[in-house]
Amino acid sequence: MPLSRRGFLRIVGSREEAFSGALIAARGLEAYYAEQQAPGARSRPVLPPGVEEIRINSNENPLGPGRLALDAILGKFPEANRYPFNSSPADTNLVDAIAAKYKVKPENVVLGAGSQEILKNAVRAFTSPERHLVTAAPTFENCTNTAKKLKHGLKEIKVDANFRLDIQPMIDASPGAGLVFFNNPNNPTATVHGAKTVADFVAKVRSLAPQAVILIDEAYHDYVTDPSYESAIPLALATPNVFVARTFSKAYGMAGMRIGYAIGRAETIKPLATLKMPYNVSVFGVAAAIASLDDPQHIADERERNTKVRDFTVQALTSLGCKPTESQGNFVFVDIARPAKEFREACAKSGVMVGRDFPPFEKTHARISIGTMEEMQKAVDVFRNVLRAATTTAGGKGRF
Amino acid sequence: MLTRRDFVQAAGIGAAGALTSMIGARGREHAVWSLLEPTLHAVEPGIICLASNENPVGPGKTVLDAVRTAFGPTGAQPGRYSGAASALTEEIAKQFKVKTENVVLGCGSTQILRSATHLFTAKDKPLVGTIPTYEECAGYASMMGHPVTGVALDSEFRIDLDKMANAAKGAGLIFYCNPNNPTATYVGARATREFIARVNRESPDTTILVDEAYFDYVTDPDHDTHVPIAIENPRVLVARTFSKAYGMAGLRMGYAIGHPDTIKKMAEWDGGGGAGSLNVLALHAGIAAIGQPPDFTANERARNTAVRDFTMKWFADRGMKPTNAQANFMFVNIGRPVKEFREACKAKGVLVARDFPPFEKTHCRLSFGTMEEMQKAVAVFGEVLGKKVTARAA
Repeated sequence: MPLSRRGFLRIVGSREEAFSGALIAARGLEAYYAEQQAPGARSRPVLPPGVEEIRINSNENPLGPGRLALDAILGKFPEANRYPFNSSPADTNLVDAIAAKYKVKPENVVLGAGSQEILKNAVRAFTSPERHLVTAAPTFENCTNTAKKLKHGLKEIKVDANFRLDIQPMIDASPGAGLVFFNNPNNPTATVHGAKTVADFVAKVRSLAPQAVILIDEAYHDYVTDPSYESAIPLALATPNVFVARTFSKAYGMAGMRIGYAIGRAETIKPLATLKMPYNVSVFGVAAAIASLDDPQHIADERERNTKVRDFTVQALTSLGCKPTESQGNFVFVDIARPAKEFREACAKSGVMVGRDFPPFEKTHARISIGTMEEMQKAVDVFRNVLRAATTTAGGKGRF
Repeated sequence: MLTRRDFVQAAGIGAAGALTSMIGARGREHAVWSLLEPTLHAVEPGIICLASNENPVGPGKTVLDAVRTAFGPTGAQPGRYSGAASALTEEIAKQFKVKTENVVLGCGSTQILRSATHLFTAKDKPLVGTIPTYEECAGYASMMGHPVTGVALDSEFRIDLDKMANAAKGAGLIFYCNPNNPTATYVGARATREFIARVNRESPDTTILVDEAYFDYVTDPDHDTHVPIAIENPRVLVARTFSKAYGMAGLRMGYAIGHPDTIKKMAEWDGGGGAGSLNVLALHAGIAAIGQPPDFTANERARNTAVRDFTMKWFADRGMKPTNAQANFMFVNIGRPVKEFREACKAKGVLVARDFPPFEKTHCRLSFGTMEEMQKAVAVFGEVLGKKVTARAA
């Protein structure tokens, strides 16, 4: 990381500098912002005594991994010296465990160092200067940024009026495409499409662009409560050129462990196996992920917890006069009727860290991740003060 | 699907031709990376694993305590994207007395080797490496359809500097693995510096990737790191790993040190040098590991040296000649195909390394376990080799 702490602080002081733009493009926004929150990095405003930072800017699970996963990591201490293929369980055992969960073969699964490796490699493998990426705006930027860096073709389709992926324009953009990125639920807008819509979308893209690979990113799958939603994994297994990306970073509470995977037909995901870094997942990550897969109740509990806190947050924001989208993730995307930057910086002064800008909605919308209930209760108090103060100020200037 | 052995055999033929035509014929999708992955399976309890050049004693309490601390008071921290990459970068920079702009992290040195190969080789800029050497760069170059030039070792199984320099003309990248895996030999610091200067002079656009993975195990008196050259010279890059002397192969953390321009290229290509690939526990483990006093690596070297001397003597006493091992493994002429030796040892609970063509008919790579493990292992070797000798005599 060619960045001194002094340089780092300078960026934090003025995030909109061109320098930080280059950095963001190179490193990915989640990592960039995560770094700003690093303990000891002194990257945040000095908080009043007794006020603890509430980090609701990166769609993390505030509780972290389950107890079984942590125990599994501790149990692997004697094998820290072993390569993942020599440890027990080995990385291939994690592939087996994932395959067993979905009743597929190991060849239907490719591990990634987080789903980011899967997404990056999908762009590297399936797009080119001639075969473009179709994606949404706003959506998770990993594919978009990779295509830009490689100077591959790119078509970004703005979300619809309800902040959902805009199905028809994405279909229309697909002829000649190499890859179609379909984030469901969509980060940052938190909206989801139902199973039938997804199946129809896939069928139409395949008829117009039979060569295009469709990547359905279900990072937030475990948080969805909309009954019309279903995972596209069965669809991917039944359909050539379709695969699903999943991650242990969200409901499984292991963002720091860096484990994701692709699941689909073997011939579809083979290029991802080709590009996969050898030994890309640590022995601790392997053990924790296997333990988590054996603990489905933990995921069910996490969904229930998130749903309650999400409902509370949506209601609180609504009562403050803000309009959230129909949230199906562990975050909300909310119309705060003012620039996200202004809101974000004001909240940060009270120790509440909310999401970055998401163009083209950076002048109106903020992304707020769902922390614990206690954190969100405190955060809502901060939001109330910030929104009131801003309204007063704005009113004084005659803007409203 | 190719096995690792097929791949290595293809590479061992020497030329890149074999590899690239193989891959060209099958299409990029079929140049499957996983073909490089060992067919080994998890080490079962009671098995002595001498197959992967791991440190048998692990990272030690300081590092494991740091991993535990990284859980946070409630165990929630692994749920957060980690911001510790900067802190580890700073610690590494401090250790080497360089700037943070000279350092890029990787998910093991694997990611470093891949990024360097990606950036510095092309269809008209070959990769140059010895045969045999660690396969990472050659495998990636071949997958990308970039040519690979293999250079035979000298009679002592060392990098043949003259041949290497000649092959380097017009090359994109030289993979200079020193000590060399699998042959365990080491080229002294002075000779390496002269080699670098010669390549810079004769092929100024060629980048030299000096892989110092086994640096801490070297006992040759003419030993030095090439980091001071790398930070000044955009055509030299040093790769390091926490997988060997630091005992952290399972955590996946490596890094490169080089000129700021080179490091910047590496970081830009793979998202901050793969910041998105770095796990939080490895980052904190790395900070703790590299911050230890120098006697940590000195002690590990001393431990390894005692085991190395014991094991090499055992083979030499029985007329089997090892190369001059300067690492945590040795390459020894057992006078028979390593496959049959490997299988016989495995049946008795000792795992030794894969084939390394073109020496698979004669030479075995053995990693050093603990002294206790090696004492047990040589008993097994004695049984296996003795029986074979007897059988042949009969």
